[in-house]
Amino acid sequence: MNHHYRFVKPPLPATVLRALLCILLAVTCLPGYGENQAQPRLAQSQTAEQTVTGRVTDATTNEALAGCTVLVKSTGPTSRQKGATTDANGDYRIAIADGKPVTLVFGFIGFVSKEVAVGNQTVINVALSPSAAELTQVVVVGYGSTTQRETTGSIKSIKSADFNRGIINSPEQLLQGKVAGVNVTSASGEPGSTQSITIRGPGGVRTGSTPLFVLDGIPLDNSSTGGATNPLNFLNPQDIEAIDVLKDASATAIYGARGANGVVLITTKKGKAGASSINLSANIGISNLARQLPVFSADEYRRQVVAVGGVLDDQKGNTDWQKEISRQAITQNYNLAFSGGADKLTYYASFGVQRQQGILKNSSLDRYTGRINASQKFLDDRLILDVNLTATYTANERPPIESIVGGAISSNPTYPAYDARGALALYPNGNNPLVPLALYKDVTSINRVVATISPSYKITKDLVYKLNMGVDNSGSTRDVQSLANAVPQQDGRLESAYLTNRNLLIENYFTYTRARGQHNLTALLGHSYQNFFIQGRNWSINKFPISPIEPIYNPGLGQDLTLANNRPGGYAIQNELQSFFGRVNYQYKDRYLLTATVRADGSSKFGANNKYGVFPSLSAGWRLSEEPFMQGSLFSDLKLRAGYGLTGNQEIPAKITQALFTSQVGPSTSYPLDGSTNYPAGTTYTRLANPDIQWEVSSQTDAGLDFALFNGALSGSVDYFRKVSSKILLEVIPADPVQPASTYWTNVPNMSITNQGVEVDLNYRYTSQRGLKFSIGGNITFINNVVRNSPYSVITSGSATGSGLTSATINGYVNGQPIGTFFLKEFTGFDDKGISTYRDTDGDGIVTDKDRISAGSALPTKQFNINGTMAFKGFDLAVNFNGVSGNKLYDNTANANFYKLRLSKGINVTPEAIQFPSESINNSAPVSTRFLKDGGFFRLNNLALGYSLNPKLIGISKGITGIRLSATGQNLFVITNYNGYDPEVNTDRTINGISSYGIDYLSYPKARTFMFGLNLTF
Amino acid sequence: MKKTLSILLSILGLLIADGCTNLTEKVLDEASVAGLTDKQAADGNIAPVYARLPDIFTHTTYFALQEISTDEAILPYRGGTDWGDNGIYIALHQHTSTSTDPNIRNTWLLLLQGISRSITAINTLPGINDPNAKTYVAEARGMRAYYNMVMLDLFGIAFVKDDPQATSDILRGEAAANYIKAELLAVEPDLLTTVGPGRLTKGAAWGLLARLYLNYAVYRDRYADTFSPKPEDMDKVVEYCDKIINAGQYQLSKDYFPIFGSDNHTNPELIFAVDQRAELNGHNRLAYFSLSGDQFPIPAYVGANGTDGPAITPDFYQSWVAANPGKDPTIDPRFYKQNLSIYTTPGDSCVAESAFNINRGILRGQQYGLLRVNGAFVKCPNGSYKVGKLFNATRNRPTQPVNFTEKIDYTVAGSDYSTGYRVEKYEFSKKSVSGRNLGEADIVIVRLADVYLMRAEAKLRKSNDAAAALADVNTVRAARTATTPPAALTSMNLDLLLRERGFEFYWEMLRRTDMIRFGKYEGTWTEKTNTDKQKRIFPIPQTAIDGASNLPGYLVQNPGY
Repeated sequence: MNHHYRFVKPPLPATVLRALLCILLAVTCLPGYGENQAQPRLAQSQTAEQTVTGRVTDATTNEALAGCTVLVKSTGPTSRQKGATTDANGDYRIAIADGKPVTLVFGFIGFVSKEVAVGNQTVINVALSPSAAELTQVVVVGYGSTTQRETTGSIKSIKSADFNRGIINSPEQLLQGKVAGVNVTSASGEPGSTQSITIRGPGGVRTGSTPLFVLDGIPLDNSSTGGATNPLNFLNPQDIEAIDVLKDASATAIYGARGANGVVLITTKKGKAGASSINLSANIGISNLARQLPVFSADEYRRQVVAVGGVLDDQKGNTDWQKEISRQAITQNYNLAFSGGADKLTYYASFGVQRQQGILKNSSLDRYTGRINASQKFLDDRLILDVNLTATYTANERPPIESIVGGAISSNPTYPAYDARGALALYPNGNNPLVPLALYKDVTSINRVVATISPSYKITKDLVYKLNMGVDNSGSTRDVQSLANAVPQQDGRLESAYLTNRNLLIENYFTYTRARGQHNLTALLGHSYQNFFIQGRNWSINKFPISPIEPIYNPGLGQDLTLANNRPGGYAIQNELQSFFGRVNYQYKDRYLLTATVRADGSSKFGANNKYGVFPSLSAGWRLSEEPFMQGSLFSDLKLRAGYGLTGNQEIPAKITQALFTSQVGPSTSYPLDGSTNYPAGTTYTRLANPDIQWEVSSQTDAGLDFALFNGALSGSVDYFRKVSSKILLEVIPADPVQPASTYWTNVPNMSITNQGVEVDLNYRYTSQRGLKFSIGGNITFINNVVRNSPYSVITSGSATGSGLTSATINGYVNGQPIGTFFLKEFTGFDDKGISTYRDTDGDGIVTDKDRISAGSALPTKQFNINGTMAFKGFDLAVNFNGVSGNKLYDNTANANFYKLRLSKGINVTPEAIQFPSESINNSAPVSTRFLKDGGFFRLNNLALGYSLNPKLIGISKGITGIRLSATGQNLFVITNYNGYDPEVNTDRTINGISSYGIDYLSYPKARTFMFGLNLTF
Repeated sequence: MKKTLSILLSILGLLIADGCTNLTEKVLDEASVAGLTDKQAADGNIAPVYARLPDIFTHTTYFALQEISTDEAILPYRGGTDWGDNGIYIALHQHTSTSTDPNIRNTWLLLLQGISRSITAINTLPGINDPNAKTYVAEARGMRAYYNMVMLDLFGIAFVKDDPQATSDILRGEAAANYIKAELLAVEPDLLTTVGPGRLTKGAAWGLLARLYLNYAVYRDRYADTFSPKPEDMDKVVEYCDKIINAGQYQLSKDYFPIFGSDNHTNPELIFAVDQRAELNGHNRLAYFSLSGDQFPIPAYVGANGTDGPAITPDFYQSWVAANPGKDPTIDPRFYKQNLSIYTTPGDSCVAESAFNINRGILRGQQYGLLRVNGAFVKCPNGSYKVGKLFNATRNRPTQPVNFTEKIDYTVAGSDYSTGYRVEKYEFSKKSVSGRNLGEADIVIVRLADVYLMRAEAKLRKSNDAAAALADVNTVRAARTATTPPAALTSMNLDLLLRERGFEFYWEMLRRTDMIRFGKYEGTWTEKTNTDKQKRIFPIPQTAIDGASNLPGYLVQNPGY
């Protein structure tokens, strides 16, 4: 173990872990403790008892199954459930009250549970069979759960065993590539960077196309919790038991006005009665820059600058600037979880630490999570009380990414980075990219606590009432400081921003379940109220003296504070949602399935004339495989399902239904009326009211087929979907331009955005007699997005960055083309002087903005993923490939940096800059299709190899039930034509809330990571 | 059982009732106006009417439209790295701008906001019991006319709207000019004379009326081959100019550049101007725009530099040369003012901070200034600032001198960082930390010299009264007595008058209007050959056309776009 500590820099996690390990080791050395631990305590105090022992094995391999639950099932209304678990050898021992007819239930995840009547037996050995296909898998739906067999909507459930591994910051990464129709793209390679996730394509032109995330029943607010990282980073991936993705309207309509972009339900791990365990894991990850941009080395640079006729400024050095700003990054991850339970009480608790270094210097993300949940039964098990508490602290440090990456790829490589004394080299002209790195600091710390309590009460045999109350509260502080410096001269400055993000939830609902003969009915009726509060404040102070004291630690050292430079800012938003919802599931003969859902959602964001929206859905399923005529066919399961529903998107800015008439002194509202400096507060309308505004509506049709053949060895599903978004919300310009505010928000009539496609999921698994397990699966999504009936000639987004590119836009959404379309001048080559030419599409003799064309979209038309697993003896292997095609990327980095003119001025470039011999060194590079590139890729995203040691073999069987060693590789290779850092990139260049797509500008490079882990189970 | 159930249901009922909400959105962070005194309410309504003026008069908005489209200014793609801006400045100069040009759109939006705020003030102020309310209503109406006048001049359109809830009537051509005229006439009696140049006064209204009448022929028939001004319009120009001149309230400045100085608010030549205050609304863009990126005009701030923006065209420079045969144009005090002695006395290389001022006017040749090395200015042993030859260090060209050349065009050589003679007309604000912000100088809209030259032009146009015109022109020339004034002219005609307007008002955002009125806008100058008369007005922004697409025929694009 010791080698793991070599990388530990700050002492905290190391000492904590060491202490924990010591305690645990000491405890496990106590004689006999292991046996005691495995024994069910409840069994010991009974007077008249019978003890049953035995072993549980896997029916296919005859291997012992450790951790199986063995429950006593007895009749009678007041009987208490007793339980035990099998130890590492698969052995169990359970005491049962004497004299009553008793049945034991043997259960294990992934196996068909088995019931055995005890009778007079004292030894019962059981062999469990792996469960066929995923039919009995529990699927979480809103306000309840069901099984895969009974669903009528398009729902995919991913269990923790199938998650992506390695360094994971947020739940989206766990399911990247696992679900057809779900596209997860990281904005950049930065630790904790935002992940853009769309389910079945974007339904709007604005931001806010992300699905709704629901954590253990609490719908989360998708807005930022502070800083520049993903708000979902607060979840420890190791606490997550399953993620269920609701894709179609029949599944998401229960979330009404928030269901249009799909819903992701996250279920955390819970304790199990009679199965206590401790799980301890330690992982070390080593990350390196996966790919450098191939800028010229010092020698090449010396040649190439001269070759293009530039003046060479040779400082005799040889600096790889990308190497200077980056590093081999170490990530440590420690996790301790324990869970268990007895008759009435189950609990789960965990503590996790992940300290991640970024591959750029001064970049890190540290996360500390603590979690505890418990469930207690009262009143003869009629009342069940669940409590959940998660507390997370994250600390994020960011370097000035654009300035150091931009500096590194353009700086003269003949300049040394350090001078003779080892200090940062300074140049009279040009900047050393390491200087901003040394003088700048951007740190954000976030505390987030999510707490819920959800009692449920069984009113009658069929009727359960449940209350769900929760609070999600986060507070963050972000400090951005510039240190004062003499050479190069810079005044010190500190900017601080504080953000509070709070979300309160109260829900009450009744569930009625009735089974009578061939009829099965479940009905749900409920009310939900949720209140969101977001508050941000910021202030700054200037002119710090040059001092070893960092401004963050003593803001009072700043010497300059004026309203012109340091006006504090802030805002506060409160939103309320009130909803009434209901659902009916009806099954006849276990083969005809019907689900009807409705939710009435009211939101304070909506206009006075449209406070409530109603979102219904209906879906049906037919389990053909249950029909008599299908008996004996190859199909062990065959289900046809279809559904239709309406959902909404209420991710619109707050307050847009209300006019605003403010009075303030500011440069755009006030004006001197006399010679004095008493400036009047100007009274102005800053916003027009639209009381008619409402949610965007998405109507979705889904038809699908689920199938399993050869006893479930081959299974899969095929879905066709069509999602049409209408009442598109846009900030538009009034017909009469003489208005107090130049724009207002409205639902654009008739405009629609359609996402249409086919998803295919396939899985094959095989288990040999000798114990070799093997599975291969994959999914592919064909998707087509199109905008129709937009009254606007073009809706532009994606502001270009770089010299000469100001005011140019990259994305443009027009009728008949998808969202994410690149709307650009078409580059046609060079004229005889070596100057770029562009197609004059309107033939008026000049090339202007009017000649732009739709040149492809950033949205992939195909997404494909391949997953495989293999296990033999103690070894297990999991691979995950993912890829997309049919999409383009705009390389704004190359546009701003890599063209011949730059090289001729002594600015470093990649060979891309000299790829056209005929290009003049005086040719500028405006935004055009010249820098539009193929964004398709195929990546070995995840490869995990594990080995489970038999503790007995190494003589530490006492107490330890499992030892697993693992090695995981992330981002092992990418096949792509794209020549930037990585084709999976999405630099946010939003204009006025209209989403940009597929732009790469000085993005944080991607890492390749190897992670080594040790996992101990007690 | 029943009992438990009923208890539970009542608890549930309470919870629901507690959770129930009428979903009224609570606004927490925006103060809707309440509790103002009458004075606060009145002042608070008139201030926003003027408040966007500094934004209208920036380098990329009104300045770009009025100057870069003419022979006075050209902005190439500097060194292939700067001011490329997707080609909009080249398009502006070559009269090929399109309806998606962001600078045209921003100018349009700011003017419309001015009109809208005026309408709000006109409707709100009469209900406020404040002694200034009547004056403020007049100012708001007058400003609505002024913004419409600029709209008419730039876009050929004016918006008539009195009721904020109504849809504007759109006027073009003579009807628009008539509306603007009537509005200015209606408010003139209620305007003050004592509030300085920053607000709309009687003098300002007269000046604007004179300008409107002078351009009436253009507005009447925008695409005419030649404009034929009506004699009665010219009489009106003379009438309003006489009113200003005879009022005695304004005087020609004895020194030319103080008209554009940081303390110009009290300069008696200013009739109507944008009142800029560093601590409130001032920008320094007009002083910063043309300077080199390696010119650092103020010792206090190492971050305050120029940007190598536009220069004058060689054609415009040659008009100065032609007017001063055999002499350097510096003989005209409007052309140049030297403030740093190193230009003529190379040994003067140390300057105290308080004495450091950059040269003004049209800057040519090698430039000298503060030397910034490693982010700090070099100092002399005595603590004063070292002044020396400037090089394009911030352009990564440390050996290439900042040596402004006459030649500037769109060729490679002609669009390098230092090409073209530059203009530093407005004083670079001593408070400007970044060089862009915290400007102090009032930006001139109407000044007395313009009134004299408008009167001269009206007399020439009406009856070809060259003698009277010459007298007015020479009055202005002779007034600059702080230095040797430019010599009196001996003859006068329209061509000479346009040239004189160039010398007097270069880069004062009058040139495009002047060139159109004098029939020169379709002429040929450096990098400009377009003769399309439809380019006399700019396109209505595409966003506005799109926004009005639900009212067919309401907002029609100008021909040629």
